[in-house]
Amino acid sequence: MPRWAIAYVRVVDGLNRRVGRFAMYLLFVLMGILLWSSATKIGSDLGLPVNPSLWTLEMAQFVMVAYYILGGPYSMQIGSHVRMDLLYGDWSPARKAWFDAFTIVLVLVFLSVLVYGAIDSTAYSIQYNERNPSAWRPYLWPIKVVMCAGFLLMLLQSVSLFLRDIAAIRGVEI
Amino acid sequence: MSHEMIAILMFSTMLVMMMTGQRVFGVIGFVAVVAALWLWGTGGEGLAFGAAMKLMKWYPLLTLPMFVFMGYVMSESRLADDLYRMFHVWFGPVPGGLAIGTILLMVLISAMNGLSVAGMAIGATIALPELLRRNYDKQMVTGVIQAGSSLGILIPPSVVLVLYAMIARAPVGQLWLAGAIPGLMMAAMFVIYIWARCGLQPHLGPVLPEEERAEIDFRHKVRLLGAGLLPLTIFLTMMVPFVNGWTSLVESSVVGALVTVGAAVWKRRFTREVFETATRNTLAISCMFMWIILAALTFGAVFDGLGAVRAIEGLFVDRLALSAWEILILMQLSYLVMGMFLDDTAMLVIVAPLYVPLVATLDLGLPRDQVLIWYGVLYTITCQIAYLTPPFGYNLFLMRAMTPPEIRLRDIYLSAFPFVGVMILALILLMAFPGIALWLPETVYGR
Repeated sequence: MPRWAIAYVRVVDGLNRRVGRFAMYLLFVLMGILLWSSATKIGSDLGLPVNPSLWTLEMAQFVMVAYYILGGPYSMQIGSHVRMDLLYGDWSPARKAWFDAFTIVLVLVFLSVLVYGAIDSTAYSIQYNERNPSAWRPYLWPIKVVMCAGFLLMLLQSVSLFLRDIAAIRGVEI
Repeated sequence: MSHEMIAILMFSTMLVMMMTGQRVFGVIGFVAVVAALWLWGTGGEGLAFGAAMKLMKWYPLLTLPMFVFMGYVMSESRLADDLYRMFHVWFGPVPGGLAIGTILLMVLISAMNGLSVAGMAIGATIALPELLRRNYDKQMVTGVIQAGSSLGILIPPSVVLVLYAMIARAPVGQLWLAGAIPGLMMAAMFVIYIWARCGLQPHLGPVLPEEERAEIDFRHKVRLLGAGLLPLTIFLTMMVPFVNGWTSLVESSVVGALVTVGAAVWKRRFTREVFETATRNTLAISCMFMWIILAALTFGAVFDGLGAVRAIEGLFVDRLALSAWEILILMQLSYLVMGMFLDDTAMLVIVAPLYVPLVATLDLGLPRDQVLIWYGVLYTITCQIAYLTPPFGYNLFLMRAMTPPEIRLRDIYLSAFPFVGVMILALILLMAFPGIALWLPETVYGR
């Protein structure tokens, strides 16, 4: 395999691994936000001097989105996205690699359209300072930027998997 | 090209492309975005991202990672070991007793968790090796674990019913309660089936040998019942605050996850390794589901644009002139067939929005708001069956990953069929007597 391909796979896999490991722990941030939400609600019901939080619901939504979008590339790397394996399951590794090298185009097309739409929508949010229509009224651009980044990383990871498949067809491993 | 033809073309393209073995989310998303661009040109490119924003607003889906995490903590820290032992000892003397005990174990796990993954993992690590060692029939064992773990999405809490609630705009609390009695009924039917089958063919599930039974005295047996306190505690700490409105649905699932962690810590089994595996697998499974739902929402948005709801209504009501019950049965059958070949979660997200508005208008002799609750339970059972029917099903998929090599793919496929039969019987019972599902929510919320 050419040097650039090996370097690309190393860099992208390493980056996505780190981002994914970071996203993995967002689960506990999510738990913290939700616990805070019920604590303040119960507290104010009991007459304690706290108000039910306004921000927890949307913040939890944002963290959840970051969790699965930023975690996507890492989970693809460790091979946990389900496949229809009626035929695929019985194929030899070489044959799997051949098919994957072609059908990865499906994933690439989907992700490219996602990224395109995401950048479009993010540009709009930044230009018009779009806010969520709710009591807290958070700006929407930060989460959209995170989504753009996540989809882009997913795209990079797919290309990395493609290069790995090509390598597997040639009988080498990256 | 007519809209119906486009819809059929999209489905068949998806099916063919799935066969290549590419990741499910990629195949569904590809068909969706290409159809959107083809139909609406530059207006269609935002559709996929629009689906991502819509998914963000599906707040109750936050329960998904919580339940996955809880399930993995339970299976990795082997919290269910004592429970299994309890059933093992108490049901050993009955024909097929260990299989019956496994079903009951699954019922308890289902009452703590909202997915079938947890039951699957626990069944495959604890029950499977034990049952095989005692010469239980391979197909009996894999069937029991697959069918039993599928109860996870019917007995409350249930993530599938959460998804359905988002689509049908029905209250989750009522849906969960509606699933409780049908879930227990189905479990009872499984137990009767196993007991009868093993009674007739004792080699499928041999009785525990006399000497082994004699080793355990009665006091020990009673002490083992204490293991049942754990699932009871977890179930109550989740459901009582939720039904009383103290915590929201999502917050309850967090409490459930934390109580499970607490139990694991208390038993000194919450090691660094358990933490790492549970956290990583939670990310992996949650991402898998969320990306599929994202792609399926995109696909559904295209269908929405095509006016597929009205097309289906036109087909069933006007052109075929079917009665309400015929339409309902046809819908279930079509879903069963699609569930065999296509991804089950994606089906739920794509097909439910098409069927739900139609069901709401059918005159089945039930009040309008209750029809959707009842249909939610029917839908979930259909989904359970889809999980089990080859060639595509999550339980088949997970089962294959978790079982030892001596269990062949053929065994896994064949093992599901008798249990699918029992499930279809449950489905028919529920269609004939809607009260099985509706009685509990009516009693609790009706006052």
